[in-house]
Amino acid sequence: MARRPYDLPFAQDGSGRFLPWIIALMVYLAALASIAALATREAVSRWNAGLEGTATVEIAPALDSAGTDAAVAAAVALLRATPGVATVAVVPADEIARLLEPWLGPDAARSGLPLPRLIDLTFAPRARVDFAALGGTLVSAVPSARLDTHSQWLDRLQALGQSVQIAALAIVLLIAIAAGATVVFATRSGLAVHRELIELMHLIGSRDSYIAQQFQSHALSLALRGGALGVALGAGTVGALAVVSRPIQGALLPDLSLGASSIVALAALPLIAGAIALVTARITVLRALRKMP
Amino acid sequence: MVRFQGVAMRYANGPEVLRDVTFHLEAGSYHFLTGPSGAGKSSLLRLMYLSHCASRGTVKVFGHDIETTPRRLLPGLRRRIGVVFQDFRLLDHLSARDNVALSLRIAGIKEDVIRAHVAELLSWVGLGDRLDATPSTLSDGEKQRVAIARAVIGRPSLLIADEPTGSIDEIQGMRILRLFEELNRIGTTVVVATHDQRLIARFNHRVLRLQDGQFTVEGRGP
Ligand SMILES: Nc1ncnc2c1ncn2[C@@H]1O[C@H](COP(=O)(O)OP(=O)(O)O)[C@@H](O)[C@H]1O
Ligand SMILES: [Mg+2]
Repeated sequence: MARRPYDLPFAQDGSGRFLPWIIALMVYLAALASIAALATREAVSRWNAGLEGTATVEIAPALDSAGTDAAVAAAVALLRATPGVATVAVVPADEIARLLEPWLGPDAARSGLPLPRLIDLTFAPRARVDFAALGGTLVSAVPSARLDTHSQWLDRLQALGQSVQIAALAIVLLIAIAAGATVVFATRSGLAVHRELIELMHLIGSRDSYIAQQFQSHALSLALRGGALGVALGAGTVGALAVVSRPIQGALLPDLSLGASSIVALAALPLIAGAIALVTARITVLRALRKMP
Repeated sequence: MVRFQGVAMRYANGPEVLRDVTFHLEAGSYHFLTGPSGAGKSSLLRLMYLSHCASRGTVKVFGHDIETTPRRLLPGLRRRIGVVFQDFRLLDHLSARDNVALSLRIAGIKEDVIRAHVAELLSWVGLGDRLDATPSTLSDGEKQRVAIARAVIGRPSLLIADEPTGSIDEIQGMRILRLFEELNRIGTTVVVATHDQRLIARFNHRVLRLQDGQFTVEGRGP
């Protein structure tokens, strides 16, 4: 059976015609902001998971390689004896040479150039290691050693990730407010256009809530339609970006392909837009009608 | 049923269009309201169907003083009043069926009940074959009957008609007034505004007359 027409002739008034397009644009922008926030969060947590529970000890080169080796051996012995340290692995010299190759050239290892040495540490999962104390012990035992817990790097990364997320959240909130304001104006103009019929509906005994019901379901359907379009455009844009950025995607670029959480967030956007439209239209109508006879 | 006591009315800051109007309509009565064009018939009816408020005096409908009745109670009172507007005031985008159904929908009546009632009533006023026609495709007489159907479908206890015979020929006009007689016989209080004195003469009903700023009640009625 065909859907019953609205009691108010919304199809004939221009006030609602632009609403789906504006909502589509807003949901599109909100979709991009949400995906940026989610991708950043995933990247940060990936880096976090990779680096958490690890540390690196750097041994500055001594005058000769024997001195360096002795310092490395002393540091390894101390670290192995430290409670909470799970593994201690000396990074082989040729790997360090390979790491430094871009700066020192391919023959660095064989040139006899004094190279620093690195020891990778991992900690037991729930160990509470006092890094400051460990660093102090290490330096007093092996003066050329330095403990790097990556904490500074991780802290900065976390801060960056949080800023991006807060910015995205603020953008989404602003968009929601703008969407609400748009619905208020569209509803007010609808109220003005249909004023005579609203008066008639009052006269035949209609309650304000019945009239509000008409406006709110109309606003809901417009917002859902606009939201669906906006989210489709957003998903299309991100999909295209993911394809374009795949060749240059390394550890630093967040992964733009849509994960489960992104898909849920995207699907929620039109519904949120619909809910904002419904509630805003209802409140706007009820407030306006209270002033009518 | 309806009681006016020393009622005056003005539109916004304009002059008083009604002054010192006092009368009482008993339940089940039938009154004509007459007077020359511009005398204030429509204005008086607007007070009666709770569209406007008196600027002075008291208007009581179903025992409620309208001035002090809370706004939330008005829909309930208005549902007990059926109004046939002078210009019909049908919704152009809705079919005859939906126009009439509106009176029941706003009251939250179930759709299947509405469908049956509306079809039955529209058949009774002779529009059984025009259920899905929109007002723009109906003649004035047909629109008039849709408007009447909308006014009476909720079985109002007070029926108010403003110049219901104004835009139709005499035969159609008589048919409509006979319909009102029938509704009055089953207990509906009826008020019909008309400036047509010949029409009033054909019936033996009491007459509320507005003339030269004077309000008078005439006739004994049955
Ligand atoms: N909506 C309105 N606003 C201002 N003045 C009005 C309005 N309706 C009617 N009037 C004035 O009120 C007076 C009575 O009009 P009305 O009640 O329509 O008389 P009738 O129905 O007897 O022809 C007239 O002078 C008319 O100009
Ligand atoms: Mg009039």
